[in-house]
Amino acid sequence: MKGQLFLFSRILLAVVSLVSFFGLWWWIAIHDPRGVLPTPQDIFTTLARIVITNQRDLTGHVFSDHVASTLSRVFYGFSLAAVVAIPVGLLSGWSIWAESISKPIVELLRPIPPFAWIPFAIIFFREPFDSVFIVYLGAFFPILLTTIAGVKAVDSILIDAAKTLGANRGHLFSKVIVPASIPHIMTGIRIGLGVGWMTIVAAELVGVKGGGLGVYIHTMSDIGRFENVFAGMFIIGIIGFLMITAVTYVERRLSRWAEIL
Amino acid sequence: MGRDTIIQIRDLNKVFEHEKTTVEALADLNLDVYKGEFFCVIGPTGCGKTTLLRIIAGLEPPTKGEILLNGQKVGKPGADRGLVFQEFALFPWRTSRKNIEFGLEIKRLPLEERQEIVERYIKLVGLQGFENALPRQLSSGMKQRVAIARALATDPEVLLMDEPFGSLDAQTRNIMQRELLAIWEETKKTVVFVTHSVDEAVYLADRIVVLTARPGTVKKLMEVKLPRPRDRTGEEFYAVRRPLLQELEIEAEKAMKKG
Repeated sequence: MKGQLFLFSRILLAVVSLVSFFGLWWWIAIHDPRGVLPTPQDIFTTLARIVITNQRDLTGHVFSDHVASTLSRVFYGFSLAAVVAIPVGLLSGWSIWAESISKPIVELLRPIPPFAWIPFAIIFFREPFDSVFIVYLGAFFPILLTTIAGVKAVDSILIDAAKTLGANRGHLFSKVIVPASIPHIMTGIRIGLGVGWMTIVAAELVGVKGGGLGVYIHTMSDIGRFENVFAGMFIIGIIGFLMITAVTYVERRLSRWAEIL
Repeated sequence: MGRDTIIQIRDLNKVFEHEKTTVEALADLNLDVYKGEFFCVIGPTGCGKTTLLRIIAGLEPPTKGEILLNGQKVGKPGADRGLVFQEFALFPWRTSRKNIEFGLEIKRLPLEERQEIVERYIKLVGLQGFENALPRQLSSGMKQRVAIARALATDPEVLLMDEPFGSLDAQTRNIMQRELLAIWEETKKTVVFVTHSVDEAVYLADRIVVLTARPGTVKKLMEVKLPRPRDRTGEEFYAVRRPLLQELEIEAEKAMKKG
């Protein structure tokens, strides 16, 4: 069990932890004979330069273009996944008919990692739909499966209560099943967005066309600019963190009723 | 009190079949419930009290026999038979007000009328100050008030109550019993109230039916003629309680031997 720590001690320990981490990093970096691992200060000065100057690089794009293309691919892939997976999940959880139709396809496709689709996607789709498709696959299954689980977890006594208040099947679906499943759906959205973010960077690394943060770190690695690679990684981390924080905030708000006091 | 019958239970049988085991829950049950009365059903654990209520509510079909409400055969569940569950069964994402409004939304009443009805029942059950609380923020007693208001808001013919105070502590239970009687007197609803507490039944009921151990059927039907408010500690109260307790004990022993 976690005990109580004074705020001061917690901040102190966080500082000590970060300082040791960057200290160790710095020590390894200056002793790296090949100079592949840049020092933390190299990375941060590079990061500041990239963000402030926003110059055109070898790929023919400015840095903000990379960020924008990656974000838009994730946005479209993820939104498409949510728009398809939530209704399909609600129906599959609710109706044995819908489940019997969707389950075989889902079970067939689910074990295939989204990355395995990349070679096909690059040839089959035109940019940017190749990477949008990969994000879609990554985000789709977590959202679908948590939504189905959400519908199945609805307490049958709530269904009974709604029936005795005059609810028909349509009412049960819209007024009980859907709202009761929201906490599960939001969990699926959070996980789906996280998986989508991982798949986009991987897809861009492997070689979709156009700009993107994955393309950027891949190109910089090819020309040995490792401080730029790390700066790109840092940006990927920050954006991922911000997205998950925002979704977690919405999730908390929408699921507040389900929290245990 | 008029003696118009509102619910007629005719040769009711219920058998539950689950894989290879069959359980006979109710056998040849015949009962009449009168309009406007407070009717209590008591019986040993597992005697089919709850099953009886769920069949009246339309949540379970009878295996044989039928139930008539105002002479009409009861089928699917509907807002004409309000049910109050022991586990409250409130919609956890809805505030007290929105829980009470649920059945009115389904009836498609206009917003103003809904709000007016909700306000009336919030006052009736004493929920002022808790209108906008979520169920998880309410005590058990308050939750059951919301559930009672929700069941009454659609103006049902009968109010079915399945051990509604079973999970409340003794003090809260006594308060809720008193308030339920006040609500019943004001709304003049027919109440069918299932409990395993003889004390509760004697305090509340106009008439009490004791069911036998499984399969449940009528063991004893008795009228409680004590004037209200009833004194739980009075000699008359005990005089009513005693024979009921004896009957119930015999049935409870039978139920235990059957396992």
